[in-house]
Amino acid sequence: MGVILERLPGAVKGVPGAGVVLTTADVFIDWSRKYSLWPVTFGLACCAIEMMAAYASRFDFDRMGVMPRPSPRQADVMIIAGTVVKKMAEPIIRIYHQMPEPRFVISMGSCANCGGPYYDSYSVVKGVDRIIPVDVYVAGCPPRPEALFYAVLKLQEKVQKMRISKGAGATPQAEKGPRNVAA
Amino acid sequence: MSKVDAFPGGKFDQLFVNLGPQHPSTHGVLRVGLTLEGEVITKAEPDIGYLHRGTSKLAEARGYHQCVALTDRWDYVSAMPNNLALCLAAEKLLGVEIPPRAQHLRVVMCELNRIASHLLFLGTYGIDLGAFTPFLHAFREREMILDLYEMLCGARLTYNYIRIGGVMADISPEWASKTGEFLGFFKPRMKEYDDLLSFNPIFLARTQGVGLISKEAAVDWGLSGPNLRGSGVDYDVRKSDPYSGYDRFDFSVPLGKAGSCWDRYYCRALEMRQSVRIVEAALAGLPEGDIVAKGVAKTVKPPPGEAYAHVEASRGDLGIYLVSDGGPSPYRLHVRAPSFVNLAILQEMLVGCKVADVVAILGSIDIVLGETDR
Amino acid sequence: MNIESLVADLAAKVPGVVLAADPSYVKSYPTMRLSSAAYLLPAASFLKERGFDYLEIITAVDWLGPVSPEGYTRGGRNPHPFSAPEAPALVAVKNPAAAYKPAFDMLWCLANIPARARLLLRLEIPREDPAVPSLTGLFKAADWQEREVFDLLGVRFEGHPNLKKILTPDFLQGHPLRKDYVHVKDRYDE
Repeated sequence: MGVILERLPGAVKGVPGAGVVLTTADVFIDWSRKYSLWPVTFGLACCAIEMMAAYASRFDFDRMGVMPRPSPRQADVMIIAGTVVKKMAEPIIRIYHQMPEPRFVISMGSCANCGGPYYDSYSVVKGVDRIIPVDVYVAGCPPRPEALFYAVLKLQEKVQKMRISKGAGATPQAEKGPRNVAA
Repeated sequence: MSKVDAFPGGKFDQLFVNLGPQHPSTHGVLRVGLTLEGEVITKAEPDIGYLHRGTSKLAEARGYHQCVALTDRWDYVSAMPNNLALCLAAEKLLGVEIPPRAQHLRVVMCELNRIASHLLFLGTYGIDLGAFTPFLHAFREREMILDLYEMLCGARLTYNYIRIGGVMADISPEWASKTGEFLGFFKPRMKEYDDLLSFNPIFLARTQGVGLISKEAAVDWGLSGPNLRGSGVDYDVRKSDPYSGYDRFDFSVPLGKAGSCWDRYYCRALEMRQSVRIVEAALAGLPEGDIVAKGVAKTVKPPPGEAYAHVEASRGDLGIYLVSDGGPSPYRLHVRAPSFVNLAILQEMLVGCKVADVVAILGSIDIVLGETDR
Repeated sequence: MNIESLVADLAAKVPGVVLAADPSYVKSYPTMRLSSAAYLLPAASFLKERGFDYLEIITAVDWLGPVSPEGYTRGGRNPHPFSAPEAPALVAVKNPAAAYKPAFDMLWCLANIPARARLLLRLEIPREDPAVPSLTGLFKAADWQEREVFDLLGVRFEGHPNLKKILTPDFLQGHPLRKDYVHVKDRYDE
């Protein structure tokens, strides 16, 4: 694997004449983390079809290290692809808490962002951010696979900024603080 | 093969297995509560409503034209027939005559969408049974159809193309030639799918003789679409209650014999060939003329009355029952969603099957949860 | 299949069936009206014997009257969808042709697949404690469709083996498709 050191963010030093690179733990951990964002295969509605298209032949998310995992216990990212209805809210919270930290959430599509075309429905949760914290929002009804791709790139930027020391925004969860999900 | 009557020795403890609502093989957010004795299912309770968005209630506060946008999101894998069903019902209330060019365009779009929908089924059914490659092949062709739609109306999934009174936009000569190119590319591919999946020995072993539905049971449970035809019942709304000029086209309705998972699967594979035939015929004989009927206002207020219209959507008989009280929005909108009715048979069908066959049976019914729950 | 002769046969067998005043009241299918819920099962079983063995839809219409957009759903002047504290106001009857009344209009659609015919059955039931006999004994397709009507409109189907909610979540109170439905705020509505 070739690494262009100039392109690596953060403090990186290559030692001349040796196969050794000096860098901070933060950069190294974030670097490896951001290219293996594994989403849990979790489709809710229309957007899930576009999410599937993103995994399939033309868009091929594998090249970004995004590989769907069937179990939340192996996943880093949850892509909320579709309308969140009130009956589904409880399972979503459970799946979210089954994912190991650090965990990220991409809210895909208008329904997951704010209710979308169902803003006045009696059974739709008006935005998934009412029940779980969201890292990246994707607009569209449904968003194109390219839009989801852009969201993954934005999430990678965010991952790159994470720090392992306490008090420096160690994880998105630590930044956001505890949340009373039963409320 | 799949039905096991008695246990060869001793009794097993009962075990409750919860399948879904987050499960890669439930095709959305379906939950099935399975009670097992050993490996055999003794009770199955499908639990739906995890995508119930209340569309019928929302339609009562929206105009008729706005309701068309809601229909896109029922069966989001093939949205055109949904649009068409609502428009047909509204047009019956209004009593407008649709120009022949618009009717042909509607047929073209619905049949292309049937191909796209069956391709998605083919790909995901392969994944369900452990074959990943057909998924990539099917999605390659599906993307081409979505490109055509994008060129036509700007959307990949939720088209809102068929409008009350006609269609949104006329096709361009480039679109017609690109569609011809696609059909030329697609036709040999169907043979490829047969080689890859349909007659693959592993696939045959997993699907043939599994999940049998008799003719009588299929009618009794009100199945429709390829699920009904896979059991050998000749019922296709396009033939039995023609709409939008389908009676002008020559096509056959493929029927299965045994009613097994494989028959249902292969009905869809054969239907794609018929859809190609219809698209080619419709594009070749496309009449000139308007694409929108005259006299359809921006705010539609149909006279008081009730109408029932149904179409053969990709998953079966999609019926719309529309009531107008003369106001600007529907008084009542009821959807007979094929996925919803088809899914009900699961509670009877799964009993006696091995737990390993659940995914094969569930996949072969080909549900879309957006339509099941509406 | 000759619908007129079938209707005549049915009327002779089950006296409570009348052809709706306008034969294609539900466009564009022959519609028959039942005069009482007691005639539903005889009529349906007669039709099943005559080949109408495919139950296409079961549904109902609440004829209470149109709901003001400021009631349940959000209108232009009402900033929040769920701010209406009391029952949504019914709009004054604008349309004398529409038959507003406190009643549910039930609809069954039966199809005869080989004969390519379908027939609609209507039945009006009072809005207070609505109940009709269940068709699950005759058609298994009635199972979930009746549960849906029960869930969304609150019509009880007597004799249904498993009549419980199917679409709406357990904590949702009321029947959303009724015209006087008021949404009670739950924990997900802020």
